[in-house]
Amino acid sequence: MGRPAVGAAHRGMAVRRTLIAYLFLFPALLLLGVFTFYPVVFGTALSLFEYDVISPPRYVGVSQFRALWTDRYFWIALENSLKYLLVVPVLQFCSIVLALWVRRPLRGIGWFRAAYYVPVVTSIVVVGLLWRWLLDESGLVNYALLKLGVIHAPVHWLTNPAFALYAVMFVTLWKGLGYYMVIYLAGLEAIPATYEEAAAIDGAGPTTRLLRVTIPLLRPSILLAGTLSAISALRVFEEMYVMTGGGPVYSTYTMFYYMFDQAFGSLHLGYAAALGVVLAAVTVVLAVANFRLLRQGGLTYY
Amino acid sequence: MRRSLAAVALALLLSVGTAAGNPRAQLEFWTISLQPFFTGYVQGVIARYQAAHPDVAVRWIDVQPQAVDQKLLASIAGGVSPDVVNLNTEGTLRLAEARALVDMDAAVPADVRARYFPNIWASLRYSGRTYGIPWYVVPNVLAYNRTLFERAGLDPQHPPATTDAFIRDATVIKQKTGVYGFMPNVDGVRMLAVFQEEGLPILSPDRRHAVFGGPAYVALLAAYVDLYKHDMFPDDTLQHGYLGATERYAGARLGMLTTGPQFLLRVKNDSPDVYKDTLVAPAPHGRGNVLDLPTMALVVPLASRHRTEAAQFALFVTDDDNQLAFDHQVVIFPSTRKAAADPFFARGGATPEDRARVIAARELGVARDLTVVVPHSDELFRVFKDAIENAFYGRMTPQQALAWAAHEWDGRL
Repeated sequence: MGRPAVGAAHRGMAVRRTLIAYLFLFPALLLLGVFTFYPVVFGTALSLFEYDVISPPRYVGVSQFRALWTDRYFWIALENSLKYLLVVPVLQFCSIVLALWVRRPLRGIGWFRAAYYVPVVTSIVVVGLLWRWLLDESGLVNYALLKLGVIHAPVHWLTNPAFALYAVMFVTLWKGLGYYMVIYLAGLEAIPATYEEAAAIDGAGPTTRLLRVTIPLLRPSILLAGTLSAISALRVFEEMYVMTGGGPVYSTYTMFYYMFDQAFGSLHLGYAAALGVVLAAVTVVLAVANFRLLRQGGLTYY
Repeated sequence: MRRSLAAVALALLLSVGTAAGNPRAQLEFWTISLQPFFTGYVQGVIARYQAAHPDVAVRWIDVQPQAVDQKLLASIAGGVSPDVVNLNTEGTLRLAEARALVDMDAAVPADVRARYFPNIWASLRYSGRTYGIPWYVVPNVLAYNRTLFERAGLDPQHPPATTDAFIRDATVIKQKTGVYGFMPNVDGVRMLAVFQEEGLPILSPDRRHAVFGGPAYVALLAAYVDLYKHDMFPDDTLQHGYLGATERYAGARLGMLTTGPQFLLRVKNDSPDVYKDTLVAPAPHGRGNVLDLPTMALVVPLASRHRTEAAQFALFVTDDDNQLAFDHQVVIFPSTRKAAADPFFARGGATPEDRARVIAARELGVARDLTVVVPHSDELFRVFKDAIENAFYGRMTPQQALAWAAHEWDGRL
């Protein structure tokens, strides 16, 4: 008689534990559900409708996806968004170098770390306006380059279609540097000193230790930072909105900008949702590729 | 105990008082960039309206020009639409096309409509119905920097009267002083107004075809492209438009500014030295002898919960007295006939604004809103902007650019 009672108590405890676990998970799941899963499902459904905020949505099937195929501005935006991915390797490389540099136990290095983090916490609107002035034809950048003799005439950084996208990319890089530096600093701190010490005892020099020990062990951080950075690059919008307005000649017109334009400029919310679905698909493909390339290495396997 | 009872009684009394004072309608009123210069004026209008209509409360929100369209759509989509919104003609027509606005031909009685200039009322018309109440209009004037004129060897007493002379003087200023002479209004769809000012229509009489692919249009665009290639106007003209021109003028980095005279107030505040050096003249006329007359309107979104009260408030803001009071604060012009007949508009004065007011009042005779009304305006305007920028940046010849844009328009008209 006693045995089943013990079993029931055990089951009761297991159920209670499971309930408590879900109770702890609930706030995060609720937020994810409301702000991530619901918008994804709603946006995907909306891409099958024509909707202009004012009239009720009208089901049009996949016709909006077909329309993308012949839409000149979709291809311009997609091309610019993919070009923007060039910022990712440069940003990651610079962030790793910076993290290695500020990790050294130097006097006042804390101030340096803080200084590099300031752009991260600065509003993108402020950053955009600041760089718009700096990159102006008669701005500080042109002034300095002219004084140094690097250029002989002012460069139209933001008004020349050949440079504008890269000038905006530079601002993204400048603003993101501190954020990824912190990720890499955390990654570097997590690597036990014993690995490098063992390599040093085996006769490895600083460069060999960096390339053969530190960087491979940093791969999980590179995977995380690379994926986050790639997703951010595909979703870039504010920099363009503040600095170039998508121009000149649509040279900084990205997928997110086009989505915004279609949704709030033209009231084609269904079409904007279709653009969003395509952008999400590209992002997922990229994230998967990132994981495939970088998942092995580090202290844990992914 | 006694104190607690007194507190409860006081709370009850206050809640009763609040309930009794609750307005029947809470209107949200959006304006464009009227703070901080006109804060007192707008608050005064609202206070007078609320005093006359105790059952209506008005909440004022001032929005930046770049943000108003997006904020409005987001509010409508979110179910929290404002009730009265200040929009320009282009914004009004875009929302009218989306069937988002109250039809003012139906909402406003004929005798009240008759108070407004018929041509200004008609500028907010889409598919035969009018979707906004005109508020104020702003004909352009020419502001120019006397010192730069003199340094360039030009006579400040003889400013350019025609577009050709305007371009010629601007070229001389650039060549002689190194400072840009002008920032022409050629960015994006504003080139459509430039065509019309030169007497070139945009659409065929049946409105089914774009006619801007012809040789006269190509020659005009090519002339501006040539000026651009020879660095006769700033590189950022196509990006920053008239706001950029005002900033540049206020910084003494631009010889002439064709703009609404209300921008003189910004020059006065931002750069008193340049303001002192500023002279005003009529805006140069093109061959069409017509000037663009941008109209500011008050619209009522269909999503407003208080459409009737909103339309009444919009009529109050745009009535003769309120418009006239506003016109005393800045160089703008009323949309109502009685207010426009006030002697104030013919009275001169010593300041550039006073002179601008008299000049602009005379311009009203040849001015009309040149906003092109077409279906699918967002798509057509995007194509046109693309074509114009391609021509300026040398990616297409002016002929290719206009022919391509006209072809794209024809497919959608």
